[in-house]
Amino acid sequence: MTLNLCVLTPNRIVWDSEVKEIILSTNSGQIGVLPNHAPIATAVDIGILRIRLNDQWLTMALMGSFARIGNNEITVLVNDAEKSSDIDPQEAQQTLEIAEAALRKAEGKRQTIEANLALRRARTRVEAINAIS
Amino acid sequence: MAMAALRREGRRFAPLVSSPNPINAIRSTLAPAEEQMGLGVRSISTQVVRNRMKSVRNIQKITKAMKMVAASKLRAIQVRAENSRGLWQPFTALLGDTPSVNVKKNVIVTISSDKGLCGGINSTSVKISRALHKINSGPDTECKYVILGEKGKAQLIRDSKKDIELIMTELQKNFLNYTQVSVLADDILKNVEFDALRIVFNKFQSVVSFLPTTATVLSPEIVERESEAGGKIGDLDSYEIEGGETKSEVLQNLAEFQFSCVMFNAVLENACSEQGARMSAMDSSSRNAGDMLDRLTLTYNRTRQASITTELIEIISGASALEG
Repeated sequence: MTLNLCVLTPNRIVWDSEVKEIILSTNSGQIGVLPNHAPIATAVDIGILRIRLNDQWLTMALMGSFARIGNNEITVLVNDAEKSSDIDPQEAQQTLEIAEAALRKAEGKRQTIEANLALRRARTRVEAINAIS
Repeated sequence: MAMAALRREGRRFAPLVSSPNPINAIRSTLAPAEEQMGLGVRSISTQVVRNRMKSVRNIQKITKAMKMVAASKLRAIQVRAENSRGLWQPFTALLGDTPSVNVKKNVIVTISSDKGLCGGINSTSVKISRALHKINSGPDTECKYVILGEKGKAQLIRDSKKDIELIMTELQKNFLNYTQVSVLADDILKNVEFDALRIVFNKFQSVVSFLPTTATVLSPEIVERESEAGGKIGDLDSYEIEGGETKSEVLQNLAEFQFSCVMFNAVLENACSEQGARMSAMDSSSRNAGDMLDRLTLTYNRTRQASITTELIEIISGASALEG
């Protein structure tokens, strides 16, 4: 009994194959999904998606949206997704620092919110790389 | 031998002179030019036909070039349209696409192109939008338009000006991407009140076939109402909704996300259809120009031969008159 996972972004299909287990981070915490999970539809936060294939964990950075879990079929629709193998550690670290600096300089509610989101995205990418090692 | 040939030519020319119909046919197409040369001139100048041929040839070159440009643009955008198709299918599986839903406030989003010369796709989109408007306006329901694209705006602004809420043009000026479309969707969601959004666009089946389609996106309250009533969206209830404080908040986010995904796919598909339609329109245009060129070449050769024959006859009759 394996789960079929589909990760879709507006521009392309990021992942489409069978997995053993996934760990998804939602607005209300992280949830683990094993085969024969009850059907739920949930909002996905900006965070890491961990995929297990045969005792090997793979990490992906997701930038928020929705997931639907049905009869052993998981569909995750995100604004943007990057596999950790595609992220360059140096560049991710730099993006994180730039985002932190932007947050400190932000003025006004709207800029603070945007800077916060950018920071969380950058942090997710850095975490995605660190998580495997 | 030569005299016999000339006599034959003379005989061939004679029917042309005696039966004025063929010449009149040519004359009617080139009449203004002939009047310039003065009445009584029976042969039409080859210059006029040659000018016409030159302009038709230029038009043929231009339409051929436009076809190739459209073909290359189509290749690029087709890949993206196909990739974006997978995005809205889970939404339809979860929330259903129910065009027959009964709601008070309908908003029709018409997607059309900015440039012309693309066949009939804009007219079909506008026709369908008008039909939807007619179906959905009744005593207690209202129906508004949101128009994307110049051509749709030009057609709809003539008779439905008071029903138009929002107009956006020049979408393809910058490279189409999801962020741009989601900002657009955000704009629409903020400024327009709706219970159901119907997006009208041309779906790209193949290079020669474009299906006018409408995709329906319901507002979260209507989704809740329909899911509790059972029916097509009844499956939604079997899913436990998590994430976020309340179910309605998640449903609202879901509906907004669905709208922007469906819009993105619709805009891409319409752009593909536009390029495909332009390709086939320009192709038939080039072919027509080629046909016209063939007919003009025949006319040109006929007038050229006729003028040569006239000259020869004059010379020969002049010579024979001199001999006595």
